[in-house]
Amino acid sequence: MRLFWELSKLAFQRQLTYRAATLAGLATNFFFGMLRASVLIALYHGQSEIAGMTITDAITFTGLTQAAIAFLSLFSWYEVMDSVYTGAVSSDMLKPMNYFNFWLAQDSGRAFASFLLRGLSIMIAYALLFDITVPQSADQWLAFILVLLLSWLVSFSWRFLVNLAAFWTPNALGIARLAFILSWFLSGFFMPLRFFPVWFVRLCYLTPFPYTINAVVEVYLGLVDGQALAAIILAQIAWILLLVLAGMIALRAGVRRLEILGG
Amino acid sequence: MQDIISVKELNKHFKIYKHHRGIMGPLRNLATRESTLVKAVDGINFVIQPGELVGYLGPNGAGKSTTLKMLTGLLVPTSGEIRVNNHIPWKSRTEYVAEIGAVFGQRSTLWWDLPVIESLDLLQHIYKIPEDRFQQNLGEFRELLELDPFLNTPVRALSLGQRMRADICAALLHDPKLLFLDEPTIGLDVVAKERIRRFIEHINQARGITVLLTTHDLSDVEKLCKRVMIIDHGKLLYDGKLDLLRERFGEKRQLIVDFVEEYEIISIEGAVIADREGSRITFHFSGQDITASELINKLSAQYRIRDLEVREPDIETTIRRIYEERLLE
Repeated sequence: MRLFWELSKLAFQRQLTYRAATLAGLATNFFFGMLRASVLIALYHGQSEIAGMTITDAITFTGLTQAAIAFLSLFSWYEVMDSVYTGAVSSDMLKPMNYFNFWLAQDSGRAFASFLLRGLSIMIAYALLFDITVPQSADQWLAFILVLLLSWLVSFSWRFLVNLAAFWTPNALGIARLAFILSWFLSGFFMPLRFFPVWFVRLCYLTPFPYTINAVVEVYLGLVDGQALAAIILAQIAWILLLVLAGMIALRAGVRRLEILGG
Repeated sequence: MQDIISVKELNKHFKIYKHHRGIMGPLRNLATRESTLVKAVDGINFVIQPGELVGYLGPNGAGKSTTLKMLTGLLVPTSGEIRVNNHIPWKSRTEYVAEIGAVFGQRSTLWWDLPVIESLDLLQHIYKIPEDRFQQNLGEFRELLELDPFLNTPVRALSLGQRMRADICAALLHDPKLLFLDEPTIGLDVVAKERIRRFIEHINQARGITVLLTTHDLSDVEKLCKRVMIIDHGKLLYDGKLDLLRERFGEKRQLIVDFVEEYEIISIEGAVIADREGSRITFHFSGQDITASELINKLSAQYRIRDLEVREPDIETTIRRIYEERLLE
C-alpha cells in the first residue's frame, strides 16, 4: 500500500513537471471542445432538445469529453509497451512487486494530475463561457464521482491489456492504435450515443467502452438514475474484473513467453 | 556447507528462424519457417558455496548472460535444474528476487527521469526495507561508492561510471545474500573500474555476500576472483582456481637479463634460453622447476648482471589461447 502511494505520488509529480506539455494539451483540448460545441449548436438548429438532451447538455457533453481525454489517456498510452521494447520490463521483473499494481499506481497519479490540470480547468473555462449543466444534488455528485473513478479503472485495465500485445509482436503500435480508435468511437466520445440508432447503441454497450465516457456523461447530466444508475455501476465493476483478469492471464502468458524466448 | 547455487545439466536452446531475402522473402519465411537451433547454454554443471566470489568469463555470445538470466529467474531453462538459495528462480520469482541483487551492466534498474535518491527511496518501499536498515546501508554505500555528488541528479544525466555505482547500490540496499553482476565494468575507465572492484571485494568480504560476476574483462577476474568459470559456445570449459589455469595453460614465466658483457654459453638447470640479443638474454622457466629468486641467484653467482626483469605470463594471452586453440575441450 505504501508502495502504491509512493508510485502514485511520483507519477503525479512527474505530470506536474511537464508544464509546457500540459499547457499545449490544454489549449488543444479546449480548441477542439469549442469546435465540437459549435458543430453541436449547428446540429440543434434551434431545437431545444434531441433524444432527451438539451442544448446546454450537449455543450456540457463536449466539455466533459474533452476534459476526459487526458484523465483517461484516451488517445494514447504506450508506457507498458515501451517498457517491453526497451527491456525495462526485465528490470521490473527483478523487483519483488506486482507488475499490474506497479502500473496501476503510476497511472493513478498520472490520472489524478491530469484530472486537476486538464480536466477541471477545461470545465472551469466552459463554465465561464457557456451555460453548462451541473449535477443537481449531492447524491448525483456522489454517483458521478463513483462512476468517474470506475471509468478510470475500466480505461486503465483496457489500456494495460492492449499494451501487453508488445510481448507477442515487435510492432504492437498498430494494434494499440486500432484499439484506441475503437475505444473512442464506441465510447460515445464523438457524439452522445443517444443520437445514434438503438441497434448501434446496444452494440456499443456490449463493449466496455461506453462505461468510460457515455455512461459517465449521462450520470453527470442526470439522464440516468435509480436502477439504470445501479446497472451502470455494476456493469463497470464487471468489466473491470473481466479486463483485469484478462490482463493477468495475458501478462502471465507474456512473461512466460519472454522467459522462454529471451528479451 | 550447503551450496547456495547449484546448477545441473543446464540447457537453454533458442530457435532462430531463418529470414529469406528479397521481395518474396517474407512469404517464404511464412511458408517454410526454417529454423536453426542455437544452444546458448549447453549442459552446464556447477555449484557455488556461500561467500564465494566467482568470475564467469567468456567472449561475447558465449552464454554468460543467458546463464545469468536463468539464475536470476528471467529465463526459463530448456532443461536442467537450477537451485539458488533454496528457490527455483523462475518458479517463485517474487519471493526469490527479494533475496538477491542483480545488476545488468547494459541496463539500469533505476528510474530514468528520477533523481538517484528518489529511485533508491522507491526501492525501500518495493523491497519493504526497514527504515533503520535502509538508512544504515544507504549511509555506508554513499560513502564507499561516493554517491553524494550526484545523489540528486536524474539517472539519465549520470555518467556511465556514476550510473553503475548507483545501480550497484540499488542492488544491495535490501541486504541480498547473493549478488549477480553482468559486466559491471563494461565501458568504464580504469579508475572507475578500480573503484567498483574495490567495492565488490569489500561487500564480499565484509558482508559475506556471494558474488557471481560475468565479464569479458580479464583484469576484473584477475583482481577479484580466486575462482573462475570459463564458458564458450555454451559449454563450461574450465571451473577452478585462476592460478591453476595459469599454471596449466600459461606461457612460461620469463626472465629478461641484461648482462654486463656477452657470454657464450649460459646454461642454468630449469631454464631455457628463448631469445638472445647481444648481451640481453631471455630465459623461459616454469615455477615448478625453479623459482625466480633461485634462477637469479644462480645467474648472479656466475655472471655479471646489469639489469633484470621478470615477466609473469599474461592471463589474457592464456585465455585467448584457450578460446582459439580450444585447449579445454
